[in-house]
Amino acid sequence: MHAVPRPVEMRMLLPLVVLVPLGFAVTHIAQSGALDPGPLGLAIAYVGLMLGAHLALRLTGQRGDQLLLPAVATIGGVGMVMLNRLPQGGLGIDLPGVHLGMATTQLLWFAIGVSAMVAVAVGFRDDGFLRHYKYTWALAGALLLVLTFLFGREVNGARLWLYLGPIGFQPGEAIKLVLVIFIAGYLAEKRSLLAGASARLGPLRLPPLPYLLPMLAIFVIVMLIVVISRDLGTALLFLGIFLTMLFIATGRRSYVLIGLLLFVAGSFVAYQLYEHVRVRVDNWIDPFADPSGTGYQTVQALYAFGRGGIFGEGLGQGLPTISGHLPIPALPTDFIFAAVAEELGLIGALALLALVLVVVFRGLRTAMLARDDFSAMLAVGLTISLGLQTLIIAAGNVKVIPLTWITFPFVSYGGSSLLTSFVVIGLLLAISHRSALDSEAREQGS
Amino acid sequence: MTGEILRILLLALQIGFVALLYLILFGFSRSLLRDLRSAEVAQLAGQAGIGRLSVLESPENEPPVGQPIALGPINSIGRDLNCTIYVEDDFVSGNHAMLTFRGRTWYIEDQGSTNGTYVNGHRIDRPVAVSFGDELTIGRVRMRLER
Repeated sequence: MHAVPRPVEMRMLLPLVVLVPLGFAVTHIAQSGALDPGPLGLAIAYVGLMLGAHLALRLTGQRGDQLLLPAVATIGGVGMVMLNRLPQGGLGIDLPGVHLGMATTQLLWFAIGVSAMVAVAVGFRDDGFLRHYKYTWALAGALLLVLTFLFGREVNGARLWLYLGPIGFQPGEAIKLVLVIFIAGYLAEKRSLLAGASARLGPLRLPPLPYLLPMLAIFVIVMLIVVISRDLGTALLFLGIFLTMLFIATGRRSYVLIGLLLFVAGSFVAYQLYEHVRVRVDNWIDPFADPSGTGYQTVQALYAFGRGGIFGEGLGQGLPTISGHLPIPALPTDFIFAAVAEELGLIGALALLALVLVVVFRGLRTAMLARDDFSAMLAVGLTISLGLQTLIIAAGNVKVIPLTWITFPFVSYGGSSLLTSFVVIGLLLAISHRSALDSEAREQGS
Repeated sequence: MTGEILRILLLALQIGFVALLYLILFGFSRSLLRDLRSAEVAQLAGQAGIGRLSVLESPENEPPVGQPIALGPINSIGRDLNCTIYVEDDFVSGNHAMLTFRGRTWYIEDQGSTNGTYVNGHRIDRPVAVSFGDELTIGRVRMRLER
């Protein structure tokens, strides 16, 4: 392991030294009305953490993608500024003796996530244990889901939380990873069979069912558990990941078409079966039918977007709390995008989405340059999971699609989401590191 | 009066924050553009070839371990000197296997060898599609198909 310079990463991380403390200071000045930057400890710790990650990657000789970490760090920096600016009371964790506020807790999760990212990027040398034990992984994931369903705690009509003592986590996030690993392993093995010749039934070309069946079975099991535990955002995300990976592996539009038809049918059934799905869809069609009840959060989010306009209300000058409470209870988690849009306006919200696009772009590039099918499929799946999650929650916030409870990666408050997202970045770094080493060896050989 | 100054200062700082955010974005787009124009991607699009074999294990060191073999669309593998991929190993037949690229997929077919051809540890008895990342064993020589 030789230390290698990562000049682009360093250069792109440097502006954060100004950006994050500036954001903290601006929000404090706007809220206190005095020329006082306020406590900057968290901002400095955040920037230090990201520079530390850069240093760790550099010292361990990682040649992986240099734009992923800065893009993620900038997205997270904007998120930290927003979370620090909101009232700290409601969320956070109670450790023995001390209560940690929301922003402090989030920083703690960032520290854990970034450590996990570096560990994965450095430690992930051989993907054998992922691709050979794919069924074991899939079963472990399904088991985790069943456990959540049996022993989980219900929040917002969906059973997502599993508690180990005082610390809760959302298994749905970890299962997203496991599912991507399983599908990547399966498709890498069977890709040529799936894309190849198929049975014909009259004018219809049928997909080669025997090869698809094991994957479909696992997928249906996971979807069933997810739908029964009423976590519809995750169900939509899983379906999207599954269809995208299937399409990329085989290049056949018929799979996507069948998948979408199944989705429409499934949505219809869910609408008929579940009360809370009906409520969600009705809110989407007309949130103003019950503006102070079920439609309350959606209506408040729409007002927030409206107040923000193109240039925003100004950082730190969004709607103050109503008698000590947030106007939108789920603001730090599900509606953080609305908070960003209110204070930074359309231009700020677009900048945030553009940064996510940078991550997606680099992820797909990593997949393109990967040296084997498994790495390529893994990189595609991981990238799509991040991109699609952003798309679903942002679209839910602006009422393009019915709102679902999932997080905005790297921005929303929440440990499970941050940890998983950073593991995704770690895996992408590891995959791109291996293809970089490979192309270097090739150049020396020729 | 001081309130007025404070308001203007705050506005300047707020604009500064968004401007810096866009400066960072500009930096990203510049890096992305430079990368798109770089040789690496050109190589990827143009002359990357259809695949290669990386040799993992080779007791007689012919083919040498660690040196990737560039592949054409049709490759014969065996101990015969006329084979495209010459393998020196007592457990390899003269005309052992055929590795071909058809459509978008690689196929391997055993040519009636004595000791058989293995894909990921399984002996094959008919032409089999191989994916990038799969391991081929011919005699005592282990190779991996790569992009």
